[in-house]
Amino acid sequence: MAGPASSAAAPPSLRKLLMQRPSVVVALAVFVLIVAACFLLPAFGLTSIGGMSVRNRLTGPGAEYMLGADAFGRDVLGRLMVAGQTSLGIGLGVALLSSVAGVFIGLVAGFFRKLDTPLSRLIDAMMAFPDILLALSLVAIFGGSMGNVILALSVVYAPRIARIVRASTLVIRELPYVEAARALGTRTPTIMVTHVLRNIVSPILVQATFIFAYAMLAEAGLSFLGVGVDPKIPTWGIMVNEGRQYIDNAFFLILFPGLAIALSVLSLQIVGDGLRDALDPKLAKET
Amino acid sequence: MKFRATCLAGAAAVALCAAGPLAAQGNVDVAIIGDADTFDPMISTKDVVSIVTQHFLETLYTFDENWQVVPLLAADMPTISEDGTTYTIPLREGVSFHDGSTMDSADVAASLSRWKDVASRGMAIADQIGSIEATAPSEITITLTEPYAPLVTLLAFSNSAAVIYPEEIIAPEIKEPIGTGPYKLEAYQPDQYTQLVRFDDYTQPGEAAGERAQTPDEIRFIPVPDTNTRVEGLLSGQFDYADSLSTEAFARIEGSDVAEPVLLDAFGWPLFAVNHKKGLMTDLNIRRAVQAALPYDDMLFAAFGDEKFFQTDGALYPEGWPWHTEAATELYNINDPEKAAEYLAEAGYDGQPLRILTSRQYEFHYQMAEVAQMALEMAGFTVQLDVVDWATLAQNRDNPDLWDIYITHSPFLPEPTLTSSLFGTAREGWVNPDKEEVLERFTRETDLDARKAIYAELQEQVYGDVGMIKIGNFSAVQGKSRKLSGVVPSPWPAFWNAAKAE
Amino acid sequence: MRSYLLRRLIGMIVVIFLVLTIAFVLVRLAPGDPASLMLGPDASPEEVAALRVRLGLDQPIIAQFGSFLANALRGDLGQSLFFNQPVTTVLASRAEPTIVLALFSLLVALVIATPIGIWAAYRRGSVLDQTSITTAMLAASVPSFLTGLVFQRYLATDLGWFPASGYGGAGAGFTERMRHLILPAITLGITNSALILRFTRASMLDILGEDYVRTARAKGMTERRVVLRHALKNAGIPIITVVGLTFALLVSGAVVTERVFNLPGMGNLVVNAVLRRDYPVIQGTLIVVAALYVLVNLITDLLYLAVDKRVKY
Repeated sequence: MAGPASSAAAPPSLRKLLMQRPSVVVALAVFVLIVAACFLLPAFGLTSIGGMSVRNRLTGPGAEYMLGADAFGRDVLGRLMVAGQTSLGIGLGVALLSSVAGVFIGLVAGFFRKLDTPLSRLIDAMMAFPDILLALSLVAIFGGSMGNVILALSVVYAPRIARIVRASTLVIRELPYVEAARALGTRTPTIMVTHVLRNIVSPILVQATFIFAYAMLAEAGLSFLGVGVDPKIPTWGIMVNEGRQYIDNAFFLILFPGLAIALSVLSLQIVGDGLRDALDPKLAKET
Repeated sequence: MKFRATCLAGAAAVALCAAGPLAAQGNVDVAIIGDADTFDPMISTKDVVSIVTQHFLETLYTFDENWQVVPLLAADMPTISEDGTTYTIPLREGVSFHDGSTMDSADVAASLSRWKDVASRGMAIADQIGSIEATAPSEITITLTEPYAPLVTLLAFSNSAAVIYPEEIIAPEIKEPIGTGPYKLEAYQPDQYTQLVRFDDYTQPGEAAGERAQTPDEIRFIPVPDTNTRVEGLLSGQFDYADSLSTEAFARIEGSDVAEPVLLDAFGWPLFAVNHKKGLMTDLNIRRAVQAALPYDDMLFAAFGDEKFFQTDGALYPEGWPWHTEAATELYNINDPEKAAEYLAEAGYDGQPLRILTSRQYEFHYQMAEVAQMALEMAGFTVQLDVVDWATLAQNRDNPDLWDIYITHSPFLPEPTLTSSLFGTAREGWVNPDKEEVLERFTRETDLDARKAIYAELQEQVYGDVGMIKIGNFSAVQGKSRKLSGVVPSPWPAFWNAAKAE
Repeated sequence: MRSYLLRRLIGMIVVIFLVLTIAFVLVRLAPGDPASLMLGPDASPEEVAALRVRLGLDQPIIAQFGSFLANALRGDLGQSLFFNQPVTTVLASRAEPTIVLALFSLLVALVIATPIGIWAAYRRGSVLDQTSITTAMLAASVPSFLTGLVFQRYLATDLGWFPASGYGGAGAGFTERMRHLILPAITLGITNSALILRFTRASMLDILGEDYVRTARAKGMTERRVVLRHALKNAGIPIITVVGLTFALLVSGAVVTERVFNLPGMGNLVVNAVLRRDYPVIQGTLIVVAALYVLVNLITDLLYLAVDKRVKY
């Protein structure tokens, strides 16, 4: 792959570029709406996770329960919002944690020549483990709490960030002004922060967006396999999985959380695509 | 060629061949919830182990359709001495093992001795067993140190089962089971199938046990852990029989023209097993608070969805069983948070979390736990719901430091003493002098009417001392192909008479 | 060229060494003593001690790692606790469904995605372009177990077009086994077609921007002929690249898909191993899959080299 040399050039106005693509705008709006609903509706008391009212179990969507009631007679809408906080939280947590770890590893590999080869090979080795498989093993070994799921998925995705950061760093460190800064005696960490980070923000942002989406899907997959987050904390993946046995009597139980996952993941991917095209057309080839 | 060989296999098969469409043919594919993790039913109490192994390993006695004990490998019911301590059991002659050898009393004595040493139900009464002796080539004699009425039932039961192996293979661990059953183990591919084929030298048991016609050529048990997949496989005609289906799928299976549901009405009872060894639940007032706080009917409703599949019933045996009694059931389904709060106050409860251990292996366990948690919290408990996978649960429940309540279920068993929770030796460790006294009288008494009366006292103990908490009765759903006949609905369905119409 | 090959080979060996290290460390990180963890609480201290010796846990950690590496290089990945068989034997018996499923689903994805990708690039910016990409992305955004369940329920059970689950059972013939893989392959293929579609489209756009294509256009060749004559000739390159890229995706997807369709593959095996705490099998699967990944990527790189004369190393 070609190095993202052009990202060193002054990035054009992000907003302007994004707004040129209607699909990206729509996707962004959908995602923001989902996030806002999940966090604001419960906060303002408009929906609540509510108590159980077992006698109303599997009530269909209607006046009493807008999106129906689950097997315990709990409001699906309210649960969907709370579960969304967890699912989005996992996605964001993984995106942030893997970015931070990936940036650190990538910077170290890119800047310290002696560490480059070992770290690069380590990155290659980590990337050889398929995500669900590695996450499954990690969760099996350490137990299925939300923190562990985030940690496991971050371990899975951090190498992807690290690889990109390393490649960018290798290019940027040779740029005249970085060399100049070094020649002037600026300490290495300062160089990293001031010059390099600023220039690799966009590819990281793009990757982080995708990781956000993949992590949400992976969480759903882990829930299906029975090793996800503790079921007391609902996630969309857990809701879909719980709804499976009611597929005949209450299809809405898998429909709504399924839609929530699909819409979030889709909109994140479209936004990610848009960002990538906008920020760096050359990156568009990378996947 | 194969077809002809099949028809020559036995008189029964010949008759069926002549009959035409019900000809002995093909295979019966049975979807079960998981692999039998052992083919030695002595050391296991798992239902899948019983379901699979009963086809190739047989016991001295078995149950008929009315849960009456009838002879299987024994020639007749035992002769019991006046004082109830000596059991003389005549054995059938000319019974072949799969390895070609003939069963004799030495095989039986060796097998029963092993059962006493390694089977949980055998070990539980090992103290009462004085000796197991081969007193004639076709007779064994068991002497007890004191009368133990349920002995024959234990010998008939298919889990922790007193199966008869050839003496030669008796060892602490039995890897390749050799038995006398109508089928023998042909192949086992973990996670894929267990394949049983007809045993040609099978000798039919007496009339009481019923004919084991060996109708299918092969019986294959296919482990399908996911409930949905079992349902889809059944409805698409892939499986002839499927065990343990969700009640939610009942209507859909009923509407199918490929398969039909099998409803085992009042199949069993979910229960909250109580840790009497350590922790919060060792305090009687706390136990009473839990008993009073639980919303039994809501728990059942959340778990089973339709009154067709459960009954809010406190009697430890439902109506129709000889053990049915309403004694002390006024303590069932009180559903009174205030009463519970009073008990908690009496106990000086300080908010220490009540740890409920459960898994989602059986979704209804988890569902009952969720509803219970809500009600217990309303009564003032702090509840810690530990939802773990099955392997972890199976480990953790053996450690009394880790739980106060764990959720399980059992079919209604033909003899109350098969319920291990009643005994102090079980992992729950429920011991109290009054209960022990009742229990001892119950196990010694041989007269059925007298036993019924004592059982009512035992049920009073279970409620009064909150030895365990029964949640209700539930029905199990299995499914069968509409073409399949000859399978008697049971918690442990058997397939030796299963015939498929063309 | 030769030095490139040498470099790749050395790199590969290092990566495999690291894969082994990671797999070793992972299982060692499990809290508690592995031996007692494996045997469960019923085990007597003697049994635990015996297993510790059998697993070499009584040796210093470096010695353990050394013998682990030596064994792994000899193709010995230890003994499954559940099956009482060598892990490699267990894995080998589960390889067929997984490998064939991966290949079938790759084929499905290619058949769906390549023509659409080329068409979308040819009509870039059009409604068709946007719609096909969005649809493919939507298919990839639905959790694959949900797609599988819906397919299983409606296409297999209700319509009877495919077997609903399993791998044909005892003694099933080759055709019968393959028949059981069709629906899982479609499920997994659809999920993964988005990536291939986007990749094909991007590669096509690249090719369409190349000098020789521009020349051809300038010579008055119609756009359709440009695409057919030049662009398609180069379609082999994205296909090779994407095989390497999607390998990990396919394996991850196979874990879930095999579970939905109850296929006796490596994915189902590893999930069961997790539920049974069969650590040697978990470890062995990680190693084998990662090694396969490394190998597949080496092969695709070499193929790339052979196919694309423009690539210089």
